[in-house]
Amino acid sequence: MDPQSTIILGKAIGAGLAMIGAAGGGIGIGLSVGGAVQAMGRNPDHTPTIQTNMILGVAFAEAVAIYALVVSLIILFVLN
Amino acid sequence: MNSFWNGKRRYVALLLFLAGVFVALEVPPVIPFIQLPGENLPSGYNIPFTDMRITNTLVAAVIVWILLLLFLAYIARRRPNDGSEVPPGGFYNMFEALYEGLMGFISGIAGGAHFRLIFNMFMTIFLIVLLSNWMSLIPGIDTVGFIHAHTKEKYDPATEEYKVITTDGYEIYQGFLGISYVNGQCDWISPADEAAADEAALANAEAARLAAIDELAVKDAYARYQSAHDGHGDDATEEGAGGHGDDDHAEEAGDSDEASAAYDEVLAARDAEKQARRDRDCYTGVAISPWEDGYEPSGKDEKKEPIQLHPDPGSAEAKRVPWVVLPLVRVASTDLNMTLTLAIIAVVMVQYVGVKALGIGYLTKFFNFGTLFKSPLGGIDVAVGLLELIGDFAKILSFSFRLLGAMFAGAILLFVMSFLVPILPWPFFILEFFVGAIQALVFALLTAIFMNLATISHHHDDDHDHAEAH
Repeated sequence: MDPQSTIILGKAIGAGLAMIGAAGGGIGIGLSVGGAVQAMGRNPDHTPTIQTNMILGVAFAEAVAIYALVVSLIILFVLN
Repeated sequence: MNSFWNGKRRYVALLLFLAGVFVALEVPPVIPFIQLPGENLPSGYNIPFTDMRITNTLVAAVIVWILLLLFLAYIARRRPNDGSEVPPGGFYNMFEALYEGLMGFISGIAGGAHFRLIFNMFMTIFLIVLLSNWMSLIPGIDTVGFIHAHTKEKYDPATEEYKVITTDGYEIYQGFLGISYVNGQCDWISPADEAAADEAALANAEAARLAAIDELAVKDAYARYQSAHDGHGDDATEEGAGGHGDDDHAEEAGDSDEASAAYDEVLAARDAEKQARRDRDCYTGVAISPWEDGYEPSGKDEKKEPIQLHPDPGSAEAKRVPWVVLPLVRVASTDLNMTLTLAIIAVVMVQYVGVKALGIGYLTKFFNFGTLFKSPLGGIDVAVGLLELIGDFAKILSFSFRLLGAMFAGAILLFVMSFLVPILPWPFFILEFFVGAIQALVFALLTAIFMNLATISHHHDDDHDHAEAH
């Protein structure tokens, strides 16, 4: 295998492994949305407040996945 | 006006959709070229009187500032400051609703003594990031810019001129105001031209062989003449002297070393020429832009040769990206410089409001040696303080990478979707609309929350005193 292919192989594998971190964000989003939906089901009157906070929480959980994404983007597009 | 739009709006939407289909079919999308750092503009666009390069993300940032200033100036002008009862409407009304909604939101989170400072910071960051993020939705941003290409020249028999084409066969036109653009598929050097050249080379080689044989024949004749005169012929001349006229010498002397060497020489020259042209055509880097022939990848390799689309021009990947468009304007928040700057400003403002609220005692949050010898667990307080210090640096990273990652991934999503489904990328534009708004809100809201936290002392007894003192 020539060096160029090895580099591409390593980058692809590394970027894929880095994206495992997105699983954490997914779990977090699932938990927060699940909780929010339950809360909305119990208190429909508070839906706007719950929704706002849910979206914020989702954005924060998503941030963790985005860190993984940034790492993988850096591996793919910045490393040479 | 409104009734007109209410009736006809669906047709306008349909028309735009059809126009999108037409444009996608007529101008097929190109494979996106993805680069994380902001690209430098050509060197004609330096900051005046310096060598400092301008990146395309800086252009976007400047546009955002100008837009924001114009926007706020307009809002300020529309504001009825003489108490007159101007009915609010339109843009002003929208902004007022947004402003009041966010003000209520922040006063619920950080409605303390430093509410004005926190809210100003919140609103500043929110508006800058929001406008910056939403710029990615404007057509032409990220797509219109300078063309940089691996190029070759193609002979056009019709006009008897050489045209500049990219190595994947797109012709580069010089258009209005010297703006180049890439359009239309054309061939490599056409197979017919190639075959004709090959034929000519073969004919040349044959001619060279004949000439060599003629030369041999003359030599032979001379040798025979000499041997006849000297009276001693030798084997070498006897062998070739079996009778060769002008007509059949090719067959007779065809196997002679000199003749085939001459033939091979001409063909080898032809092969070398072909190879040289192939190399030159494919891999000579010429950057096509109205202002400059060079392309430096951002920042680091100023001294490299003019164009480096790919470090290894012969590789398959380099052939895959034979030309790129360097966008004139690229969304500012896809550049780490912008997000890192905002993050540093935000974290510095957190420290500022902390010192303002709690005085110099704020620093005990980080360097908490007061309880080290008083309490049995004093060492833990020191460690916690240091962790807080590290945590504030981590805040800078998390702020900047969150925004960068979300917006850069969004930009790639738009690129890739525009490439894969060119007639229907707009659902992703709607997604990006929301992502841009949410990321702006998150950035600004986190700043507000951290600033509010910094104003609250962990020694609850002296919190109020310090807050009052300032």
